[in-house]
Amino acid sequence: MNSSNGNGSMSTASSSGAWNGRDQFPAGLRVLVVDDDQTCLMVFEKMLKTCLYQVTKCNKAEIALSVLREHKNEFDIVISDVHMPDMDGFELLKHINSEMDLPVILISADARKQVVMKGVTYGACDYLIKPVCIETLKNIWQHVVRKKARNTF
Amino acid sequence: MERNPMRRQLASMRKSLFDQGYLDEQFMELEQLLDDANPNFVEEVVTLYYRDSARLILNLDRALERRPLDFSKLDGLMHQFKGSSSSIGAKKVKAESTLFREYCKSGNAEGCMRTFQQLKKEYATLRKKLETYFQLARQIGPMESANRPK
Repeated sequence: MNSSNGNGSMSTASSSGAWNGRDQFPAGLRVLVVDDDQTCLMVFEKMLKTCLYQVTKCNKAEIALSVLREHKNEFDIVISDVHMPDMDGFELLKHINSEMDLPVILISADARKQVVMKGVTYGACDYLIKPVCIETLKNIWQHVVRKKARNTF
Repeated sequence: MERNPMRRQLASMRKSLFDQGYLDEQFMELEQLLDDANPNFVEEVVTLYYRDSARLILNLDRALERRPLDFSKLDGLMHQFKGSSSSIGAKKVKAESTLFREYCKSGNAEGCMRTFQQLKKEYATLRKKLETYFQLARQIGPMESANRPK
């Protein structure tokens, strides 16, 4: 993958550039998936692994946040359920947006427009309705590239 | 066309689960994830679903015994349950969950209780059918049962 900004040099951005120069991109995309539902988490993990992504799963937003804080630059994207006890997806999203530069996708069985609107206005780069199919997950790398491109230019 | 009678039976069981509306396309999504390393993936997910959702059913039962009903709490519990059920493609169960949530929104206690009884029936029926299905699938052998007509 070749990219150059106006200065004619390759920007390695803030992350360790996990896949820079790797031919298999987006294989190896480092995903953190957060959902308090064990069944959903199991399905997501399998789907994401089938996409050849590197998956870390988490069933609590607080834990996800501390993982992200401790391991900055080790994740490319976060996928989070909206309705979770204690900290919910919106709050997690707010923390991530203020502390780090990671794209966040929200997922919910709740398709109500006002909730989707909330997700978008809070800064989620996408909002997916459960159940999510693997084809949708195959495309999430676009959010990562888009964010990096925005940061570069 | 399946020549082996057991495979035919399995295919026919599977078809009727879809035709009768017990399962939707999400179940097929799960089947697509079967591979050599995880030949029983679908069965494992379904087993986890029934184990994990039992807790939600219990909490819903308890919440429905309180007077007056806390519709907001009931709605929250059912939302979780619906998300879980939709991830395995449990179509009828999911439909009852949606109906239940409508009754919560309109504060219809009787509707909630009636719908929940129906939901539990569908939940139990699906479990039995899937148990039988997976039992047969295991007898036939993992790779055979992984071949699905598309």
